Amino acid sequence: MSNVERNRLAGADSTAGDLVSTGILAVAVVTFLASWVLLLQWADETATVAGLSVLKLLGVGLVVVGGGLAFLGLGSWLDYVDTAPSSTAGVTVGAVFGLLWAIVGGLAATLVLGNDAALWLPVAALVGVGGFLASVLPPEDVGSTLPVAGVLILLGGFVAVGGINAGWTWSPAWSSAEFPGSELVPILVVFGTLLGAWSAGKAKAGFGAEGRQTGAYYLVGSVVFGMLGVLVLLIAFIVTNGLETMLTGASLTGGRFTLPFVGVRLPWPEFPFLLNQTGGLYVEIPGVLPAVVGTLWLVFGAITFAVPLGIGAAVFLTEYAERGRFTQVVEVATNGLWSTPSIVFGLFGLAFLVPRISGGNSIVVGQLVLGFMLLPLVLITSREAILAVPDAHRDASAALGVTKWQTIRSVVLPAAMPGTITGVILGVGRIAGETAPLLLVFGGAPYPSNSPNVLGSFQLSAQPPFVTNEALLSPASALPYQLYSTITAGVFPKEIFTNTEFGWGTALVLLLVVVGFYAVGVGSRLYFRRKLHE
Amino acid sequence: MTQRVPQAREVLTRLRAAVTRRVDGTKQRARDYRSRTEDGAIAMHGLVIASVLLTFLLFLTGSRWTVLPVLSFLGTMGVGWARYQAEAAKALTFLTTVATVSILTLIVAFLLLESIPAVRAMGVDLFMRVRNPAMEPPTLGQGLWGRGGVWSLTPMMLGTAITTLIATLIAAPVGVAGAVFVSEIAPGRVREVVKPGIELMAGIPSITYGFIGLTIVNQYFYAEFGTPTIGTYFAAGLMIGIMALPTVVTVAEDALNAVPEEIKSGALAMGSTNWQTTKSVTIPAGLSGVSAGVLLGVGRAMGETMAATVMLTHTKGFPSPVFDVFSRYGETLTTVIAFEGGNASGVHMSALFAAGVVLFVMVMLLSVASQYVEWRMHRKLGGER
Repeated sequence: MSNVERNRLAGADSTAGDLVSTGILAVAVVTFLASWVLLLQWADETATVAGLSVLKLLGVGLVVVGGGLAFLGLGSWLDYVDTAPSSTAGVTVGAVFGLLWAIVGGLAATLVLGNDAALWLPVAALVGVGGFLASVLPPEDVGSTLPVAGVLILLGGFVAVGGINAGWTWSPAWSSAEFPGSELVPILVVFGTLLGAWSAGKAKAGFGAEGRQTGAYYLVGSVVFGMLGVLVLLIAFIVTNGLETMLTGASLTGGRFTLPFVGVRLPWPEFPFLLNQTGGLYVEIPGVLPAVVGTLWLVFGAITFAVPLGIGAAVFLTEYAERGRFTQVVEVATNGLWSTPSIVFGLFGLAFLVPRISGGNSIVVGQLVLGFMLLPLVLITSREAILAVPDAHRDASAALGVTKWQTIRSVVLPAAMPGTITGVILGVGRIAGETAPLLLVFGGAPYPSNSPNVLGSFQLSAQPPFVTNEALLSPASALPYQLYSTITAGVFPKEIFTNTEFGWGTALVLLLVVVGFYAVGVGSRLYFRRKLHE
Repeated sequence: MTQRVPQAREVLTRLRAAVTRRVDGTKQRARDYRSRTEDGAIAMHGLVIASVLLTFLLFLTGSRWTVLPVLSFLGTMGVGWARYQAEAAKALTFLTTVATVSILTLIVAFLLLESIPAVRAMGVDLFMRVRNPAMEPPTLGQGLWGRGGVWSLTPMMLGTAITTLIATLIAAPVGVAGAVFVSEIAPGRVREVVKPGIELMAGIPSITYGFIGLTIVNQYFYAEFGTPTIGTYFAAGLMIGIMALPTVVTVAEDALNAVPEEIKSGALAMGSTNWQTTKSVTIPAGLSGVSAGVLLGVGRAMGETMAATVMLTHTKGFPSPVFDVFSRYGETLTTVIAFEGGNASGVHMSALFAAGVVLFVMVMLLSVASQYVEWRMHRKLGGER
């Protein structure tokens, strides 16, 4: 409504407002990032820049943002800046600001009058109502800037004059933890700058509907930026901490490979962390080979169990069954299976499979339990893939006079294969990192000295099971389980690594395996999609 | 009273009619099956189903003769596949469907079965007891796990509630904001980076999150905030919240994408800005799907095991006051199973199964609720997708 008469090109006076709001945004971004640097301990809280302590500088940043906002709001109100504000900032904004001011009032009252609820509560309520009215009653340009500016200037000023310094602590009675100024200030500043950026964004776009859009986009954008930041930090932590362990003794040409029959020895890549046993007397650099082999067997077993079952059920549900009570039950059961916590699968395996198959932790039970977990994922994705096959394909095939099964086999399933494969790969990525059920039904010694030899352990007998496999029926290690047992076991048996170093190395290998599955899955999805659109 | 009798009679008549209809339908279907299927295929179906049932029964009793019906199943299926491929395939797909449902049924049955001894020993106190009379004096929330034959899940239920609440407070707003960003705000190129990034976040194994939480987050809170122990509900809840984020984002984003484009275009054509459309049209229309995403995220957070197991202190008790999230206590339903399940026996083990039942019921309720909410949304938006 309000932006009907607004015209950016004709707004001759808008340059001053634009300049100020861009400046505020820049200051807010710098202050925001600086607080994170402090929170993440990349810089010391007592560090000084140009003679001022960092915390005081953060306070100054807040004051600058607050002052700029006050300037923008008043300038727009007095028509020095060309804007198109609505008549009010809205009740939601008012409620948020009221709450904010109530907190400020309450804190100020506790500082002045002491920690007595009868004293600070009325003050907080009064100030809160004041903040609410101050943001709802005046036009939008004043209502959405001045209350923010007030909070920021008060808080920033208090920090800047040294009211809260690095040594100051707040230890409330309800908490076992203490909140030191060195951490509290950056946390408050993070929220303060977010608020300031929202307000400045509104001002930059001249308030009104456009302004609200810009403000909201800045907020949402910074939240998503923070989320991606967390992801990058997680991966960076694992890579930087684990790389050294993983590459210990590794070289491209250090190893020796003897050509069979000829007897010539060639230089060969060497990778002890991946190719060595974890325990054992003669192992110089302990590695994660048993865990890698265990994970491979687990994944292999889970796929052999879950993929035929899942695809079969998906075919039945989409092609044979009529939509009704039965399909609904299966759907609810599948979704239930999907959201069942992994540890419950472990309990089930412990109660149902372990006593009937191996009598103790074993690879085959682990394979089955992970298969149970993979099953709903395979079912859901392959069902979606089959449903996405156009009915025209089926009709065309039926018109040729072939039976329903032939249609399914030679038309529907091939068309649904890409989606199914992608789903399976993504699902495998998920179960490859699954740990909780393995604790109950799978895990063996914390530092195994030999990998499971499944292929070599098959034995035929005249007794009823006829085929037995000792290796499949005994416990083993897998990458996530290895990481867990490294964390919980006390001291690492070799001197070359500490427990934590070995853990970071294992975590990196695990991450690489899982990311590998994801990369292949996402890549195959892109590939098939592109092929479809050609 | 006088009105109830005819009502009851009416219900009875209706019930009888329904049963007759059902029986007739089944008879008709059986007749159809009989006339459309060759005798050999019927024999194969019978043999296959019989051998599957026998396999299951023998496996249930733990017999080593289980291999015989398995062989008979494979043999019948092999012959059937060669002679009556269509019928064999149909039977096979039907069996896989039944197997999927029966896995869930078996999970429920065995969890309940195994938790009976604990319920028999403790009764309702298993979920309600907050003081242990065997202690001198009986302090609130102390000695409730294994002291004097008392096994009470209350400290763990409280712990799960606390961590789930913290995780939800983080994952719900941030996740919904992320979904709005990916589906409504982000330009195509940015979306192509953000979406796989979020998927990757979901793929990082929980034990890895736990390891980072243990070596970095826990240490940070211990060093900077002076927490009494290394490992608190707050730190674990924070990590679990980050882990539940991708679930919320993915499901909520699907819901926002499912809002028909015409509705959005209509709002835009009225002259509203993109944000006004998002706020007043898209989010309200997709609200049930967005809340389904949040519910699923809560379920994920509740069932999250490894990060919490590694990060928490495994001290059981009630923090005082309850919202002291930095206390020395730390145990949830999942962590107690993972931590003690390896070497428990008797009533102890059974109590762990009871913890599993509580967990399973809560997560199942959340899952069904989110499905219902989503189903209602699709009906509201016109059904087809």
